[in-house]
Amino acid sequence: MKPFDFYAPTTVDEALALMHQYQDSVSVVAGGTDLVLEMNERKTTPAVVIDLKKIKELDYIREEDGKFKIGPMATHAEVAADERIKEKVHILHDATRQVGSPQIRNLGTLGGNISQSSVAGDGLAACVALNADVTIRSVRGSRTMNINDFLAGEGKDKRNIMAADELLTEISFPAPDVKHTATAFYKLAKRKSLAISVIGGCMVVSVDDNGVCTSASMRAGAMGRYPMRFATCEEHLIGKKLTHALMLETLPIMHDQVYEANRSRPSVFYKKESVQGVFRKLFVDILGQLGIEEVQE
Amino acid sequence: MKKITVNCTVNHKPVSLEIDPNKRLLDMLREDLGLTSVKEGCSEGECGACTVIFNGEPVTTCCMLAGQADGADIITLEGVSEDGKPDVVQQAFMDAGAVQCGYCIPGMILSAEALLMKNDNPTKEDAMLAISGNLCRCTGYAKIVDAVLLAAERKRGETQA
Repeated sequence: MKPFDFYAPTTVDEALALMHQYQDSVSVVAGGTDLVLEMNERKTTPAVVIDLKKIKELDYIREEDGKFKIGPMATHAEVAADERIKEKVHILHDATRQVGSPQIRNLGTLGGNISQSSVAGDGLAACVALNADVTIRSVRGSRTMNINDFLAGEGKDKRNIMAADELLTEISFPAPDVKHTATAFYKLAKRKSLAISVIGGCMVVSVDDNGVCTSASMRAGAMGRYPMRFATCEEHLIGKKLTHALMLETLPIMHDQVYEANRSRPSVFYKKESVQGVFRKLFVDILGQLGIEEVQE
Repeated sequence: MKKITVNCTVNHKPVSLEIDPNKRLLDMLREDLGLTSVKEGCSEGECGACTVIFNGEPVTTCCMLAGQADGADIITLEGVSEDGKPDVVQQAFMDAGAVQCGYCIPGMILSAEALLMKNDNPTKEDAMLAISGNLCRCTGYAKIVDAVLLAAERKRGETQA
């Protein structure tokens, strides 16, 4: 590792002041499971490293005012173990409990996963499907935006709009009403543990008292620069009575969209088929959670 | 580069070090403290050979900076044995024939210890999940899982070593 100066501030304000002072020469460590490896291989050579582990005000999971609010330093293990998330937000529970390995889940954080904005980030894809808001702060002030607006940027390494002196300080999303809203995640990977997602399938569906679909979010991680949205599939469900048969009708649309979007990639022949298998699993999970149909696959 | 001070507890003893910050926790434990049970395997958080118990949870020390250990409570394999004798998990690994080349075993035992600290009656699935971040290329895992379950049984006092 190249030499650097190390700071471990205990408050967000201290961290922001340091980030403002050192700007582009700073690397911020949340869990370190990406950054420390990059530094060890000298792919990243910051002059200053700021460790966030001692900032207790960034490590929390709250449910208040009808919302879940998660501090960026909550680890994958903490999110996966949270009973409220487990009961009400299956998508985030299932995404975080399958990240890496027990050791990685004890280090890696949801905020780090979102800030890195990796194409295969499972926590990121789940938060996109949940239509989460993110709050970012700097000494210049604080701004809150939809995660879809956060995910924009030019170039290979610039995947979100955060400036060098900005820090992700909160992830929030409406607490699902589990009678009417179901959320699900399915990870397709080469093995169960220590695997990067080949497809991270995400689905969030709401129905009214008559079982008519009022909103739908269908996303897949690792299918492009950002979690791919199947907007035409979503539209196909909205306004109709939600059934397994209706959901299966979206699969050919999905197949064609994946093929068109990834034509230049050799993996497209696998992914255009396997994405349908991933969503078949999600449909069964969603219908079961909403008590609409018990489907045997 | 300014040196940093790392104050932590390692294997139940307080430690204070003045070190360069551009070290991984793995390097600090091996080079500065001589704890060579902490193995370097893949160096990218995949193999689990460098696992230690950090504030009660297993972590891979190749993914951590030395400075992140400040204030932490760390246990390595050296801190597991009692008066130079193997503890119940180590003994179970020997008795179950769970060790072949041995390189993964320090990390494997610490993952098992971390499980048994929280749950002394694990299912086979619990044991498999607990060691899912530790790769072993020799054993095929069956006897390692047996060892974890045997250690749990002995810890509960159901069978004697």
